[in-house]
Amino acid sequence: MSDKKKLSMQIGMMSVNSLNTMQPNYKTIENNNNWTNTIMNDPPKHNRKKYLLMIILFLCGLILVSTVKNKTRNIQKEINKLQTNLNSIQFNLDQAILDNEVITSPENISFLAKEYLNTELKFYQRSQIKKLNNEDKNLTKVSGLNPISTNNKNVKKTPKIMASTITKQIEVKKNEIKKLKKLYSQPKTIPAEVKKKITKKIDHAKNELKTLYKSPKEKKTLDKVARWSAVQVVKLFLGIPVVPGR
Amino acid sequence: MKKNKKSFYFKDYNEKDFVNKNINLSIVKVSSNRITFLSFIFFSIIFIFSIKIIYLSLSPETFLINSELKGDFSKHRRNIVDRNGSVLATNVILYDVGVRPQLLNNKDKKNLLIKLGLLFPQLDREKIKKRLKKDAFFPIGKKLTPKEKDQFWLMGNKAFVFDPKPARIYPQKNLFSHVLGQTDDINEGISGVEKFFDKDLRDVKKKNKPLRLTLDSNIQHLIRKELINAEENFHNIGSAAILMDIDNGKILSLVSLPDYDLNKRISINSNIYTNKITHGVYELGSVFKTFVVAAGLEHKVIKPDTVFKNLENSITCDKYTISEHDKLPPDLTVEQILVRSSNIGSIRIGQKVGIENYKSFLNSLKILQRIKFDLHEVGDPMPFNWGKCKLATTSFGHGITTTPLQVARAYAILANGGFEVHPSILNNNLKLNKKKIISSETSETINRMLRKVVSLEEGTANFADISGYEVGGKTGSSVKYKNKKKLNTFVSLFPSSKPRYVLLVMLDEPKSAPNYVCDMKPTEKYPNGYKYKGETRNTSGWNTVVVAGKIIEKIGPILAINNLQASKNF
Repeated sequence: MSDKKKLSMQIGMMSVNSLNTMQPNYKTIENNNNWTNTIMNDPPKHNRKKYLLMIILFLCGLILVSTVKNKTRNIQKEINKLQTNLNSIQFNLDQAILDNEVITSPENISFLAKEYLNTELKFYQRSQIKKLNNEDKNLTKVSGLNPISTNNKNVKKTPKIMASTITKQIEVKKNEIKKLKKLYSQPKTIPAEVKKKITKKIDHAKNELKTLYKSPKEKKTLDKVARWSAVQVVKLFLGIPVVPGR
Repeated sequence: MKKNKKSFYFKDYNEKDFVNKNINLSIVKVSSNRITFLSFIFFSIIFIFSIKIIYLSLSPETFLINSELKGDFSKHRRNIVDRNGSVLATNVILYDVGVRPQLLNNKDKKNLLIKLGLLFPQLDREKIKKRLKKDAFFPIGKKLTPKEKDQFWLMGNKAFVFDPKPARIYPQKNLFSHVLGQTDDINEGISGVEKFFDKDLRDVKKKNKPLRLTLDSNIQHLIRKELINAEENFHNIGSAAILMDIDNGKILSLVSLPDYDLNKRISINSNIYTNKITHGVYELGSVFKTFVVAAGLEHKVIKPDTVFKNLENSITCDKYTISEHDKLPPDLTVEQILVRSSNIGSIRIGQKVGIENYKSFLNSLKILQRIKFDLHEVGDPMPFNWGKCKLATTSFGHGITTTPLQVARAYAILANGGFEVHPSILNNNLKLNKKKIISSETSETINRMLRKVVSLEEGTANFADISGYEVGGKTGSSVKYKNKKKLNTFVSLFPSSKPRYVLLVMLDEPKSAPNYVCDMKPTEKYPNGYKYKGETRNTSGWNTVVVAGKIIEKIGPILAINNLQASKNF
């Protein structure tokens, strides 16, 4: 049995490659002069670090790959989900656009116009339009007195119910003024006495409007006081105690 | 012995330790290589996934397109829109329904027949009954709407098989039937725009970008409506109109009546449904007088004030007698010949121009040859042999045929300063090199003359003198060879001072309408408007001109032409 074979028996399960790597060492053993130099020292410490680093890297890689893969899969799932939603939205949008196109098609619009609009328009002269503009201006002037403005502090301060009654009153007065104005716009047809009455009425209504506009709360309380005193006077005549229970 | 040897080695040289250490080192070395290899694989996988993430985050459009291709098949064809973006053709999913009778027993089959009879009485019950007996799959309904599909589905029968299919739908129904055309069962274009731009419409790269046409739905509707009204008043069997921008040839409206609902798939065999503007070839009559006058002016053989003296009321050429439609003065200038539409005067001008000059002029306007257009349905003008009599008849528009599209194009060239135009319905911003065909002087003169045809009292087109729009134009009345019935045409240009649009209106076989009262709007001449009671004549000057006037009055504000009357008064 050769020495090489003996050695292979000693190392048992060693691979052929490993054996080949052993060969130079065996030769050094044969060389008695050099044998002392052949004894290997312990593996250096930095090699251990290297192996540790390898293991850490391996573990990190393992974790990172699985994490990245999972993340990618989740992203892909999310994208697919969004894509499905997008397709559904796109489909609805297409349907809506189609509906819109059908509804707003010139044919449909002209049909609806024929059904619901008065298409028999009349021609107006420019002078007529001017007159209309002037009337508009007057109307806007009158409507400038509108006390329903939300900026009015007095109205803001009054309770809601009171404010609503005041606005109702203002509306009534406004209508009265409009009626009177309409009457007054044809001065030739109105007799002189009626004219005077109308002007008085207009003035009275205007004053009332102004007071309402300036101090609506005061106006309301004044009205209440007047009504209360009238009731008290009637009660006095009838013999009913003026302040019952006191 | 073996043992001794071993002990010798191990004891004296500590060989065991030495060998084991060497072995361990080799194993570690091998493991290190494996780890490196595994790390490489791991990092490669990480790298691949990282690239995928980056790709997904950086290229969303590409991703979307790809995924759309997978699932959404509703966009196999691009949408078609008009110049305002209104959808003219789009895709929807319709369903084909079939029955698998093998899944049904006899009782189920009977129930199915009863239910089908109740819900869909239009279906042939006997046919279905026979097919149910055969126990083989058969289709029961094609291209069902979602509502119809739901009706089938709600029957709850397991034998129904639904097959979704993309289909084309046209929200404007009849409005663009002759232009858009149709697709077949496999969604391929078979006529009109659908056929001509089939490849372009199926281009996946452009699928989200609609095919934009130059047509305008609103204008198209207004013109169509007026043509339908004309049918009620003049009882014509068909009509057509084209509105074109004279500078770039873009067609804003192309109507041909009768039309059909594109959503209803019916077999149309009658010639009456031909696209009269592009495909129909007609003898259009006096509208050709403008060409003979323009040819004369271009070749400088006549001037607008050139007088033709002693014009006969009728002449004979070969065996045919040519006469005037009305009695006209014997001496007429070139301008008067055009304004009063004198046949004999036009013949005299034609004779002065000569065959070669007139022929080359018509060829330069591409009147006598098939033109390129954005539809396959384009007619070929009928060829003929030139001669003295042919020159005479073609001078006033008889014995010469062409399509209304070509006439509109020729008028556009005459009015735009003489530049060539290419009629198109495709809205692209391609800048074409403008080729000069006729001189600016000729163009200006023609514009002035055409305006007089409408504005002067002796002109043939007074009814189209819509205040503020400076309408100019030429009437044309002809007689069909096959049934001796009329075909009236009016080609108008507006506003004449700087023409922008050409409108051609054609009525096929109109009848006289003596009871029709034309309600004319206020003009400078008649500030309160007037009512014109119909007359027995059946010429273009009465019916097509009235229709064209009404059309211009309605589309004028949409075209945003500076209405001169409006600007003067306000």
